[in-house]
Amino acid sequence: MSGPLEVLHMAVDLEKILRPVDRPMPPFPPKHMTVASGEEMVIRQASRDEIPDILPFVAPLMYVERDFYDIVAARVYAELMAYYKHRVQDEYVLVAQIDGELCAVVNGRMVTEDVGMSLHTLALRRGLRIGAHAFAAKMEYHMDILGQKEVLIVAESPIGFRRWMIEYDLEKRFDVPHELGGVPSWSLTKELFEKARDTLVVGRRPVPEGLLAKAEAGILPPSDPPTPPEDLLAATRSLYDPTGTALVLSRWKQERKVGE
Amino acid sequence: MGREIYAYRCRKCGQLHYPYRMVCRSCGDNEHNEFDPVPLPKDGTLLTFTQLHNLPSDFEVPRLKLGIVELDGGVRITGQLDVDEPRIGMRVRGEVEVVRRVNYDRRYGMVFREA
Amino acid sequence: MRDVYVVGIGITSFTRLEYPLSEIAAYPAMMALRDAGLRAVDHLYVANMGGGRVNHQTGLASAVVDTLSLTPAGAETVENGPASGASAIKEGFLAVASGMHDVVLVTGAERMREVNNLEATDFVATLTHPLAEYIYGVTLPSLAGMFTRLYMEKYGVTERHLAMVAVKNQNNALLNEFAHLHQPITVEGILDSPEAMTNNPYVAEPLRFFDCCPVSDGGACVILASREAAEGLGKPFVRLAGIGQATDTHCVHEREEPTDLLAVRSAASQAFDRAELAPSDVDVAELHDAFTILEIVESEEVGFFEKGQGHLAVERGETSLGGRLPINPSGGLKGRGHPVGATGVAQAYEVVLQLRGEAGERQVEGARVGFTCNFGGFGNNVVCLVFAREG
Repeated sequence: MSGPLEVLHMAVDLEKILRPVDRPMPPFPPKHMTVASGEEMVIRQASRDEIPDILPFVAPLMYVERDFYDIVAARVYAELMAYYKHRVQDEYVLVAQIDGELCAVVNGRMVTEDVGMSLHTLALRRGLRIGAHAFAAKMEYHMDILGQKEVLIVAESPIGFRRWMIEYDLEKRFDVPHELGGVPSWSLTKELFEKARDTLVVGRRPVPEGLLAKAEAGILPPSDPPTPPEDLLAATRSLYDPTGTALVLSRWKQERKVGE
Repeated sequence: MGREIYAYRCRKCGQLHYPYRMVCRSCGDNEHNEFDPVPLPKDGTLLTFTQLHNLPSDFEVPRLKLGIVELDGGVRITGQLDVDEPRIGMRVRGEVEVVRRVNYDRRYGMVFREA
Repeated sequence: MRDVYVVGIGITSFTRLEYPLSEIAAYPAMMALRDAGLRAVDHLYVANMGGGRVNHQTGLASAVVDTLSLTPAGAETVENGPASGASAIKEGFLAVASGMHDVVLVTGAERMREVNNLEATDFVATLTHPLAEYIYGVTLPSLAGMFTRLYMEKYGVTERHLAMVAVKNQNNALLNEFAHLHQPITVEGILDSPEAMTNNPYVAEPLRFFDCCPVSDGGACVILASREAAEGLGKPFVRLAGIGQATDTHCVHEREEPTDLLAVRSAASQAFDRAELAPSDVDVAELHDAFTILEIVESEEVGFFEKGQGHLAVERGETSLGGRLPINPSGGLKGRGHPVGATGVAQAYEVVLQLRGEAGERQVEGARVGFTCNFGGFGNNVVCLVFAREG
């Protein structure tokens, strides 16, 4: 009764219990947009199998203290891992890519048929307002594609608060604790979404074949992600110069040349 | 309704100033309190305007319309606009209302509406 | 008054710096001292606007002179809003020109990113009139927005011209290793693409996101000295040939002609008079483009182009690197960044670098006369400098 086959049988049964049964969720139709640099960005849904490709790009951000990157990255890592290992219900993950390179990861969940829960927006390329595009794609997914009636949102950083709560005049849903830390939620209702449709539904479909193929071929490492300072005590001494004041380096280069 | 915003007329030469300055810009010949407060007219023409999206943290609205108005009589003033579609040259009428809350204080200023 | 020369320059990266403000001021000073081969100076001026309010550090110059071990040299902090840098240079110039000192170090620094963006905007907004502007929620971008609308109405400047300035300066910054922004942008991406509204949203209509300079930390330094002190350095002589300064009404609504920047016009004119040079002699200029419209207007007011024609020069590429009169080869405030206290000194740094022939990929060939315009408040306190290479 305790041979290998019986143990295997038990393992499969346990997994059936531990693994949630996801609702059928229509897939996110990929779209593309021209960003400020003139490059084309593709936003598409990431499949479970692609999660291990994304995780190594999220992990280093857990050590970047500024702009709340550390907490957002830590939570995103957990949420993506949970999605991959089938330990979370009804989650979706969208990725934004330029030339295959990962620029942003956004995720969220369906709480009920009608209510969505926005989880995170993590931008890995800065200076091009990619976060704005990624957030908008999420809202479009909940409202237009999943056909929901409202999305619950919270912000970890003041920038997020200004960009979402104030900008879209979100309704307070303070009686509903958000999954992210149990803090009071704000809501983007269908009505607010329609008012802001011009800002929240941007980009073009369908994505040209070649562009989509490049994006789907693989998720490439971000070329210029936020990085932690080399010396965690850099605030107390300027002996190290992790910001790269280039003059120091070029001087050393010059001196070496003279010595040769 | 009540509140006024005051310009200051130099007692020596009659030059109007808004806002207050200590020495008359025209004759330079007055003591600092030799000005008569004169309530500003409320009607004027909109000279220029903007809609500001990145507001200071104590504002809870996402956007704010601001403008410079040339009041009848020639004095110019900066104010908030409660106008759907501002146009350069449009006639406006102002009311003195709460324009900003700083901590628990209320600051009053001119809010212009289409005349 | 005797002639004054720039004998040393230094700069930090303009970005987010996790150092105390005094170190941000001291680091480029250390670089400049090395550049000049000096171990001591007679006096220091430190340009800074927000130390007391944003960084809880008052008496900045006293901290800087000690961290550089330059005591017992005298030191003062100079505050003139965003024109602090050029004002501090002016003070340094006077100290040397008068004969009181032989070598004066001028460093400018700002650490705006110690607080979040909203607080940084509010800090800059303290420049406005407390009762007639600040209470309405007026910020510098809103003043620039109102000004831009009038300029567009009167002279036909369009959003496209502004976008061209933004692209020019941000792309120039790619060649500047110290610049804040190292992100190429295109007019297509920020204006023409169907997604331009998300890429480049309005900040203070009609000014958009890419029309406004970033919020930066950073420091820059120049060392001024007499002719005797400058000799024996083995570097080209760059003389601070002319200085001009002028003020205008505090409230923007009180300006005589709302589309004029009279203080710029007057300050530039004085600077050229003192230098005995003309705008047509200038080979390279660093103008104060906190907002793209300002580069256009300043280029007219200082005398490079006819009033109301500056945007046409941008269209023709005259102010690009390689054009007839490159403006902001460093990237300007838009691309290089704008730590308010440091900017005036950073502009001087760039011009001196160009006149020395050390600007590498962004070198303006054969540059012999350079010009800077440092704009304080919103055009109510302006300092202009003219530099000339000798020999």
